[in-house]
Amino acid sequence: MLAVSSLRSTTFSSKDENQEQMESFRPVGNQDFSELADKNLLESIDFDNLFVDINAGDVLPDLEMDPEILAEFSVSPNCDQPELNTSVSNGKVEDNPRKEEEEKISSGSSWSGLDSSLSTRGEDQVVSKRDESSWVMNPVPHKGDKGRKSSTQTKHNQGKKKVDWTPELHGRFVQAVELLGVDKAVPSRILELMGIDCLTRHNIASHLQKYRSHRKHLLAREAEAVGWSQRRQMYGTAAATVGGDMLPWQVPTIGFPPVTLMQHPFRPLHVWGHPSMDQSPIHIWPKHLTPSPSPPPPQSHSWAPLPRNPSYWHQHHRVPSGLTPGTPCLPQSLPATRFATPPVPVIPSHATYKVDPADIGAPTSGQSGHHHPTFDFHPSKESIDAAIGDALSKPWQPLPLKLKAPSLDSVLVELQRRGVTKIPPTAC
Amino acid sequence: MADSSASYIHMVHHLIEECIIFNMSKEECMEALAKHANVKPVITSTVWKELEKENKEFFDAYSRRRQQMEETRERIQNFTSDSSNS
Repeated sequence: MLAVSSLRSTTFSSKDENQEQMESFRPVGNQDFSELADKNLLESIDFDNLFVDINAGDVLPDLEMDPEILAEFSVSPNCDQPELNTSVSNGKVEDNPRKEEEEKISSGSSWSGLDSSLSTRGEDQVVSKRDESSWVMNPVPHKGDKGRKSSTQTKHNQGKKKVDWTPELHGRFVQAVELLGVDKAVPSRILELMGIDCLTRHNIASHLQKYRSHRKHLLAREAEAVGWSQRRQMYGTAAATVGGDMLPWQVPTIGFPPVTLMQHPFRPLHVWGHPSMDQSPIHIWPKHLTPSPSPPPPQSHSWAPLPRNPSYWHQHHRVPSGLTPGTPCLPQSLPATRFATPPVPVIPSHATYKVDPADIGAPTSGQSGHHHPTFDFHPSKESIDAAIGDALSKPWQPLPLKLKAPSLDSVLVELQRRGVTKIPPTAC
Repeated sequence: MADSSASYIHMVHHLIEECIIFNMSKEECMEALAKHANVKPVITSTVWKELEKENKEFFDAYSRRRQQMEETRERIQNFTSDSSNS
């Protein structure tokens, strides 16, 4: 048992206070400690479960230290409260802060957006961190300027310790960075702009570094997503069925890159950490595009995969998940389903062939002077020839567009009317 | 006889679809098919018209799209020629 508690204390904090509290938690948890003692303790202890139980509120009545600590919280939210460190409070400030926490989290919507999709990921960290943030928000129940004040309080509490980048805090950080310009943003100036005590230049510098690498990540994803969406458009056309459905006829629009693709590049960049972010439509996060509805697919394509977000981003803001609009994308729902399985399987192989010449054709054709990655207004002669040759040599291939074939009779009649009697013509 | 006609017309239909994928107009298609596949323009034209009748919606949308592209293309050309002039 001792081993267990000491393990826990090292994991969470080295404070004696914490240790005591951990021990007081012990009776409450549902863990089978005797079991744990036998194995590798560190690995077998599921700390998340511990706290889940605690969070449920069963534990609360058992904690004698609650009122004391609560008093400490409400009394003095200033810089020098190192002892009020994180995990300690996990059990306590549950009921009340819980609500506030949720409200605040929802106000930092972009963060929450980021997290919800990654429900599977940092869940462990999330639970414990969530507790931290709930604790953190507690001291400032319902002030008018909720986000501001609470985050300020938060920072005060943490002092020189590890900074908890709450959505509000992060939002201010991003604002400052944008004001200065991402590349020109210097930690000292950011610090000035944020105007928050208890944040050191060092905190900001490391956060800035993470932010920058994250943005690069996003941009790379976006570029990848763009490529995907183009390809998908082509496939989509080929696989189209005739039914009066507009969907199939997307290929021709490929020649219009500016129109089709312009829409998404900006969104993902805004996604990260921007509280004002509009979640539902476009998030380039994890999933791939859902099969787009008939209107420009690119619109939905922007949900580029936000795939593997560095987990640390999530740690802080996982909580919101329940609150955010559960769009699959970005953290949300959508995408990544961005590129839902392109109808590739449906595409006749011959369509694939067709796409390639179009690609090849584009760069060689200099007529339009328009640089488009995959398609051109004037396909080259070679590509046309290739496509036609292919169609001629493989007449059994299914039709790429699958337009409804005219009735043979009407065609023949029409041809005769125009003076064509022999089909196929024997002489040209 | 009828079979070969049917298959021929089917072939022309197929080729026309290919041309549509390349964003061609009816005239361009006629030219291309005549050039690359030895299909008489009148045949191409007839089959195209029949296809248009059977797939009116598609062809309406198609022509609209082509029109937009033309306009944009023009605009781009004007734009680039303007910038090169200035």
